[in-house]
Amino acid sequence: MDLGNLQRGYIDYISALFHEGFLDSQFTQLQQLQDESNPEFVLEVATLFFEDSEKLLNELSRTLDQQAVDFKKVDAHVHQLKGSSSSIGAQRVKNVCIAFRDICEETNKEGCLQQVKQEFYLVKSKLETLFRLERQILAAGGSIPIMW
Amino acid sequence: MANSMLLALLVEDNAIARVVVSKLMVEQGMALEEAENGKAAVESVKGGKSYDLILMDREMPVMDGHEATKQLRLLGVKAPIVALSADTQQCHKDLFLQAGADEFIEKPLTKDKLAQILTKYGLRRGP
Repeated sequence: MDLGNLQRGYIDYISALFHEGFLDSQFTQLQQLQDESNPEFVLEVATLFFEDSEKLLNELSRTLDQQAVDFKKVDAHVHQLKGSSSSIGAQRVKNVCIAFRDICEETNKEGCLQQVKQEFYLVKSKLETLFRLERQILAAGGSIPIMW
Repeated sequence: MANSMLLALLVEDNAIARVVVSKLMVEQGMALEEAENGKAAVESVKGGKSYDLILMDREMPVMDGHEATKQLRLLGVKAPIVALSADTQQCHKDLFLQAGADEFIEKPLTKDKLAQILTKYGLRRGP
């Protein structure tokens, strides 16, 4: 695929991520912070988010599996995930975390967990695709289109 | 580089938030120290540390932002304390201001919001 098509594909893909609510303006903030002194800043933060979130989701599952569920622990884990997703601009993950804390009844925590997991793995997959597109553009000798 | 960089303290329990704010601060030419909760912030000051600006998260384990703000003011900290929280309910804002915070900013902290804070408190270095 030629460079022009790759770049157009990138623009369409990232535009859709914003339009569908996967990403919000905080992601743009991260992109604006990326510069020559730290050319992989967004990737680094995203990688940290992926690793941190998987640990939190595993902890959440373990906590909810206990016979006597420690709901304070559940709330603490969801609070962390809400903070992380907000910091990276993963809007849909942030929103399901807010719902988890505010709306989900105690008997429905497992259902809420599944929603959080679903949104997390969705945005992870989409960001991984985005970073793959960026690598393809750079490998073709081009530059990543700036969206702001 | 200036001989004495301005020093801020970020009190925030979320690791990813700390990474992002740290980058924002570096971009603005400020040095930054981090504390993972309110108690660590208070201990820093008790240990003799002095800051030009304190960014204080609200909800943290061990000691939350309200309590940490109160204790820092009791210790005689005069630096601006800017509360950061995603929760913008008036009651939380009021509690923070009563505890001694100078203002309340909605998270996440952005480049523009940080620039406004630094300008407001006279913490921007020259171009």
